Amino acid sequence: MSSIWFLNGLRKGIKTERYPSADPAAAPQWPSRLSGSDAGNCPVDAITSDGWIIEKCIFCRRCLPDYQPTGEQDIFTVKKAETAFRKSFHVFPLDSGACGSCNMEFLSIFSPQYDANRLGIFMVNTPRHADAIVIMGVMTPGMKEALDRAYEAMPEPRLVIALGACAVTGGIVGDAPLDREKYHVEIAGCPPSPYTVLAALNAARGGINSHTDSGWRSEEVR
Amino acid sequence: MRYYRFGNPQGRFLGNTEKYSVYEKVISEQKHEMPAETYQNLPGELTFAYGPATGGLMESVAFNMHTPGEVIKHIEVDPYVKTRRLKVKGLTPRDALLMVERINGFHAASNAVAFEMAVEDALDIDVPEEVQYSRLIMLELERIRSNLEVVKRVCEPAGFGVPQNQIAYLRENVARIISRLSGHRYFFSASSVGGCQISKSGIETRIGGVRKEFQEIFDALLQSKIFLNRLQNNGNISEGSLLGPAARASGMKVDARLDEKLIPYRKLGFRPVIFDEPDAFGRFYVRSQEILASADMILEALDNNENSTEVDTAGMNGEGAARIESPQGDLFYYVKISDGRIDDIQMSSPSLLNIDAFRKSMAGNIFTDYHFNWESFGIWISELAVVMQ
Ligand code: SF4
Ligand code: SF4
Repeated sequence: MSSIWFLNGLRKGIKTERYPSADPAAAPQWPSRLSGSDAGNCPVDAITSDGWIIEKCIFCRRCLPDYQPTGEQDIFTVKKAETAFRKSFHVFPLDSGACGSCNMEFLSIFSPQYDANRLGIFMVNTPRHADAIVIMGVMTPGMKEALDRAYEAMPEPRLVIALGACAVTGGIVGDAPLDREKYHVEIAGCPPSPYTVLAALNAARGGINSHTDSGWRSEEVR
Repeated sequence: MRYYRFGNPQGRFLGNTEKYSVYEKVISEQKHEMPAETYQNLPGELTFAYGPATGGLMESVAFNMHTPGEVIKHIEVDPYVKTRRLKVKGLTPRDALLMVERINGFHAASNAVAFEMAVEDALDIDVPEEVQYSRLIMLELERIRSNLEVVKRVCEPAGFGVPQNQIAYLRENVARIISRLSGHRYFFSASSVGGCQISKSGIETRIGGVRKEFQEIFDALLQSKIFLNRLQNNGNISEGSLLGPAARASGMKVDARLDEKLIPYRKLGFRPVIFDEPDAFGRFYVRSQEILASADMILEALDNNENSTEVDTAGMNGEGAARIESPQGDLFYYVKISDGRIDDIQMSSPSLLNIDAFRKSMAGNIFTDYHFNWESFGIWISELAVVMQ
C-alpha cells in the first residue's frame, strides 16, 4: 500500500513555489503593505499624523480608498538576526491567546506550496529543542506561566518572534504578551500570510529574501 | 425574535452561553449544568499531563490523562487556559463584528454570519435571498477548508505522509480561493449586517479542481486497510448530546442547515451526510463526504448569488438570535441592541459538547489512539476560551 502512495505522490509532481527567492505566486492583498495618506476611521488608530503603523493594523479595509494594498508581503521587521541558525532553524510555536488564524498561517508554511523544511526551517514540539519561540495571540493570564517556562527552557542563543498584530501590539483584541523591546522579530498582519511568515523566519536567521530583485516569478500551481 | 423564544428546556440541547442554555428553538435561563467529572487514581495509576503549550497541539489546551500504563482510564480537558476577554458590549454591530470575526478566525465566516443574522433578527432587517446565497457560499467554503484540515490531521498520526501533504496542499488552495472570493484568507471584513461582498470570478473551476483531487485522495484512503484499522473502533461515542459531524457519524440526523429558514439550503435540496460508525472513522468519513457535498452546493449557489451593502443600524433597538451549522456543529448567537449599540451578546460554541464527547469517548482507549481521536472531533479552543464583556 505504501508504494501506491509513493507513486501517487510522484505523479502529482513538485508543487513547491520558489518564494522567497522568486516573487510570491498568489500574494493576498489583505494583508499586504498599504500605501496612501490622509484616512480617518481606523478602529485601532493605526493611522497617525506620522503615517501608517504597520504593527497595529488589522487590515480591516476601512481606510479604503485612501489607503490601498500593494500586495507586498514584506510586512515584518527583523531587529536582530542570528546567523548561527543559517543551516537549520528550529522554531517552537506558542499560542498565548490567538484566534486560530495566526496558528493556521504559521502551520501553512509547512504545506507543499511553501515547504519551509526545504529552507531548513523546522517546527519542534518542545522549547528545549528550539532556536526561536514564535508567539501568537494576546496575553491571557492562564498562559503567562507557560510562556515564561517555555522561554526559560530554550537554550542560548535564542530568538523571540512575535507573529501577528495581537502578539506585537495587542491588535484589536487585547494586550501583547511581551514588551516590544523583548522581540527580535515582529511580524505584522491579522493574520500575516504564509509568505510573510516564511520570509520573516528566513530573514531572522540571516537568510536572503531575494524575490524583490530576482525578477523570477513562479507560477501558481493548481 | 422571529425564530427563538425564551422558555423551558425543550428539544435538542446545543450548548451553553455565559447566561443561558440553548436548544433548537428555545433559549432557557435554567442552565443545563455540565459537571466536570473528577477521577481518583487507583493504586498503580498515574496522571500524565499534556499541554497547554506544545508544538503537537494547534492551540493551547491542557489534558490530564489517568492511566495505569497503556490504557487511558479517564481524561480531563481544560480548554480555558487561554481565555481571552473581548470588549464587545457598547460597540455598534459594525465594530462588534471586527471582534466576532476574531473569536475563532478559522471559522470566522460561521461566527460572522451567525452574529449578523442575530442582529438582523433583532432589528427586522430583511436580506434578499440572492445575498443569502452568497453567505451560503462563504459558509460551505469554510466547511471545506475546515474539514480538509481535520482529515489531514487524522492522516498525520496514522503516518500517512503523502495524503497528509496532498490535503495540506488542497487546504492552502482553498485559502487562496477564499482570498480571491472575499479579499481575505479568513473572510475577515467580507460580510456585514445586511450584506455580503464577495467576488466569484474564477471560483468555479478552482472549486471543481479541489473537489476532483480530494475525491481521488479519499477513494485511495478508503482502500487502505492500515488506515481504516487505525481509525475504526477508536473513540466510540453514540450517546449523550452530540452535534455536528460527530452526531451525524453516529447516525443522528441533526444539522442546523435542516432547520434553516433564511439561507436557501432547502432550495438546493440539502440533505445531511449520515453514517453509522460512531468512531474516528465515522467522523473522518462524514467530514470527507461533506467536502464533496459542500463543493456541489457552492457550484449551484454560484448561479444565484448577489452582493449587497451594509445596513445602517444607528439608533435601532431589538433582541434577536440565530443559529447556523458551523463545520463543528451548531453555533448560536443572541444579541440585544439598545440605541444602535450592543447591550448584550451571548454565544454558544459547538466546542463545549464536542470536548465533552471526546472526553467520554477516550475512556478505555490506548495512548496511541488519543491523537487521532482528538483530531477527529475538529475542536477549536479559541471559540470556547472567550468571554465577551
Ligand atoms: S486597514 Fe489598517 S490602517 Fe486601514 S483602517 Fe483597518 S486597521 Fe486601520
Ligand atoms: S493577530 Fe489577528 S489573526 Fe492573529 S491571533 Fe490576533 S486576531 Fe487572530
